[in-house]
Amino acid sequence: MLPKTRKKALQKEIAAAEHARELVVDVLMALQAHYGHVTDEAVFEAADLLGMTPMEIEEVATFYTFIYRRPVGKYVIHVCDSVICWMESERPLLEVLCEKLGIAPGETTADGLFTLLPVCCIGYCDRAPAMLINRKAYGPLTENKIDRILTGLRQEG
Amino acid sequence: MLKLTIDNQPVAVPAGTKVIAAAEKLGIMIPRFCYHPALGSVGACRVCAVSVLKGPRTGIQMSCMLDVEDGMVVATGDPAAVAFRRQVIEWLMANHPHDCPVCDEGGHCLLQDLTVSGGHGRRRFPGKKRTHRDQQLGPLIQHEMNRCIQCYRCVRFYREFAGYPDLGVTGIAARVYFGRFREGTLESPFAGNLIDICPTGVFTDKPSRYKGRRWDFQRSPSICIHCSLGCHTTVSARYREIVRIEARFSPTVNGHFICDRGRYGFAYANAPERPRQGRIDGETQPVSTALDAALERLTTVSRTHGPDAVACIGSARSSLETLGALKRLCERRSWRGPFLWPDAQTARAVQTAAACLAPELRLSMKELEDADFILVVGADPVNEAPMLALALRQAQRQGATIAVCDPRPVALPFAFEHLALAPPFLADAIRIFARAAAGPPQAGVRASGGDAHPPDPNMPPAVQARLAAMGATARTCRRPVIVCGTQIVNSRTVARAADTARMLKSADKPAGLFFVLPGANAFAAALLSDENGAFNTLQAGIADGHVKAVLAVESDLPAAGEGLAPALKSLDLLVVCDYLNTAAARAADILVPTRSVFEEGGIFINQTGCAQRAAPVHVGGTPVAQTGGGDHPPRTFERSIPGAEALSAVQALDRLAGTETADPPAALADLHPVLAPFASRKWPDEGQLLDLSSEAAPSADWPPEEPPAAGKTFELVVRERTFGSEALSQRADCLRPLEKAPRILVHSDDAARLGIAAGDRVALTCAGGVIEGTADVRNTVAAGVVIVDRHRELNWPAAGAGWVRIEAKQIHKIEKERER
Repeated sequence: MLPKTRKKALQKEIAAAEHARELVVDVLMALQAHYGHVTDEAVFEAADLLGMTPMEIEEVATFYTFIYRRPVGKYVIHVCDSVICWMESERPLLEVLCEKLGIAPGETTADGLFTLLPVCCIGYCDRAPAMLINRKAYGPLTENKIDRILTGLRQEG
Repeated sequence: MLKLTIDNQPVAVPAGTKVIAAAEKLGIMIPRFCYHPALGSVGACRVCAVSVLKGPRTGIQMSCMLDVEDGMVVATGDPAAVAFRRQVIEWLMANHPHDCPVCDEGGHCLLQDLTVSGGHGRRRFPGKKRTHRDQQLGPLIQHEMNRCIQCYRCVRFYREFAGYPDLGVTGIAARVYFGRFREGTLESPFAGNLIDICPTGVFTDKPSRYKGRRWDFQRSPSICIHCSLGCHTTVSARYREIVRIEARFSPTVNGHFICDRGRYGFAYANAPERPRQGRIDGETQPVSTALDAALERLTTVSRTHGPDAVACIGSARSSLETLGALKRLCERRSWRGPFLWPDAQTARAVQTAAACLAPELRLSMKELEDADFILVVGADPVNEAPMLALALRQAQRQGATIAVCDPRPVALPFAFEHLALAPPFLADAIRIFARAAAGPPQAGVRASGGDAHPPDPNMPPAVQARLAAMGATARTCRRPVIVCGTQIVNSRTVARAADTARMLKSADKPAGLFFVLPGANAFAAALLSDENGAFNTLQAGIADGHVKAVLAVESDLPAAGEGLAPALKSLDLLVVCDYLNTAAARAADILVPTRSVFEEGGIFINQTGCAQRAAPVHVGGTPVAQTGGGDHPPRTFERSIPGAEALSAVQALDRLAGTETADPPAALADLHPVLAPFASRKWPDEGQLLDLSSEAAPSADWPPEEPPAAGKTFELVVRERTFGSEALSQRADCLRPLEKAPRILVHSDDAARLGIAAGDRVALTCAGGVIEGTADVRNTVAAGVVIVDRHRELNWPAAGAGWVRIEAKQIHKIEKERER
């Protein structure tokens, strides 16, 4: 359950909107901030708040890259899997990261620290090859830089 | 009209037409997956590419997204377009499994056809195909997501066209998934159309899974007989078994779709318990012997006690030919009947409807979609005539305002206004509506209903104000329509609905009138019977000893729930001709099996007075699966087909009448003036609209209704459900899981007064017996009304009619015995 104050704030925001469903992404992000990812319970809560069906919420929740319908690690790595980053990197970033983390795309490391998600262009072509970790952009990247970033985060986590 | 050239052929179409539709007019089928005439264009699949040689933008264009322009020149067979389409198909096939040999869609699959005809015959893609987990979607539909080509037809039909929320599309890119939020039975009673509309095998027919390919089947055009709308169907049979029913396109009745009751209700025709041999006094006999014995015994009764001692019962599920033969038999032998109605109230309501349906007022279901204001009175579309709900939704999508006056908790797949009014208020409700719709009195225009009787003082003023507001809205509308049911209303309400429609019409608008009748051939039954043709009347005759023998032809009337109606137990002789193993058939002294609509075909007149013919599908007989007991069928050599002894009801009745009807349709012409067209052999595909006379019903002169005494009397209403009520489809096992638990419903205020809570056991003592069931309390039920579901678990026939008045003291709560 969302904390009461948070829920009230959302309800107020929704009431002020012309159409409640305009705020579906905002509500899902708020729920994700609370639960860590959009849980089944969160889908029903969102449906309840917005007067939509769980199916409609699910349609939105599974569409967007930054809404997670499954548990994710502490650090979510969105690695650019698009053409500029391919051109600029020696080896595809995704391949490098899979190797270094020992997981496949979409998986989370056993220690629960990292989730690796390929994404179609993050808009940092000027800093290609690039990736996002918890919304912070890194680039241009090399294998060494990646090693340093991951080690730093491991120590933090 | 715009003129363009497609493949060197000129065609003229109205502006706004898409090129793909214009080509169809020329008989050119441009390949398509996502485009569907009923759903429109989305441009999702890219397979309808054509080359535009002359037009605003030349080159490859998607013909479903392209509006026609004057002077446009289009080539569908241009090499560039052909190559484009071949590549589109190849990439759609990249993820499609090569499982055609085990896929039920194989043989009538659009993807298969276009893959082959598009020239993509060899797989070049070496990669892994994406896979999905399938969902369990209930007893009717098999889900197989791996076959999906993302055309979006399913959600567009389910959500946009039909208006149900529980099927959706999740994910993005290669993860796009069509299904439910959670596994479970699809909620829509139109879900079966997903099977027809899916261009590949994602949604296939579950009950007929692995039963054959389309070319294995005997297929015939047929008419659905599970309600009065008469939707067009295509029936497939194999090994003497009806396997599958699909929607057949009809431009005026059902469009491209049918409901699940019509699609899956056919199991009665295959049932192992179906009577296939004659029976005399409990002993199996050849059909012909049973028929001779029936004639002999009926004649004996007729001679001993007079012809009045023999009564003939039929029902609205029989074909017009059968009803005609029954009427001729009654006339020839001077026997009583035919009794075709459960009660006099229903008989009068339907007869009034048939008499009031003037040709200038009636409209088809397609025309109903064009209405911009619809008042539904005493009808529950999803339950009584499901496809009507779909037509109403199309009107609503185009901006129509829809209001429903009905005591039942009506649920429809769109936004509408529900006025929960008890049946006695419905006629007055129409009058208040009509007066507002007529506006201030004008010279020469007669206000409908007159002011002879003031509105019922018991009707809440707020409701009256709403009705007046609706009338005012209808007055400003281009095409207002009145939809009126006949199951729970009296003939006064029906006549007033017709009057109001006529009044709206005379105000220079294409207004219309649309009835919903009880039974596939209720219209025909109304033409061939009078108001004495009700079973109640007959019961009185049996009780006072005048009627000694009853001949029941394809009728459920003698049955009361699971047993025989009590009155019939005192009969000397009960002869039953039927293709169902009804309670009456089990109790019959003589049983004569008849053929079903799939074996005999027949004419059914729908509620718009359109006579439509169902063609026979197969010769019938016991299904091979049953004669072989699951093993190889017996290796005996006979000329006859096992279990195919049954005669058509017409043949059986002719034998009893001692006549022979060479041409049953032609013989109908003498029975009623409107049936005259049957004398000729011509039969239009779309059915024959009968030339109805517009007998104006003198509704203004009806005496005022006996007002209900609030709190002392209740209106008992029998509610039909989509599944589990109708006589034929309730025998389908696959529909059983979709039946809602039968309930006795009351309004929460009444429940409080009666001391009833949801879940309590309640007994209603009626004239015909006790109705016992579980109570449910709803606010959407009209106050002063008790609703009983028409379901075999409830003794609903005890009510005696679709609507009767009972006293509060007839409602009892059964004290719960603690089950421990």
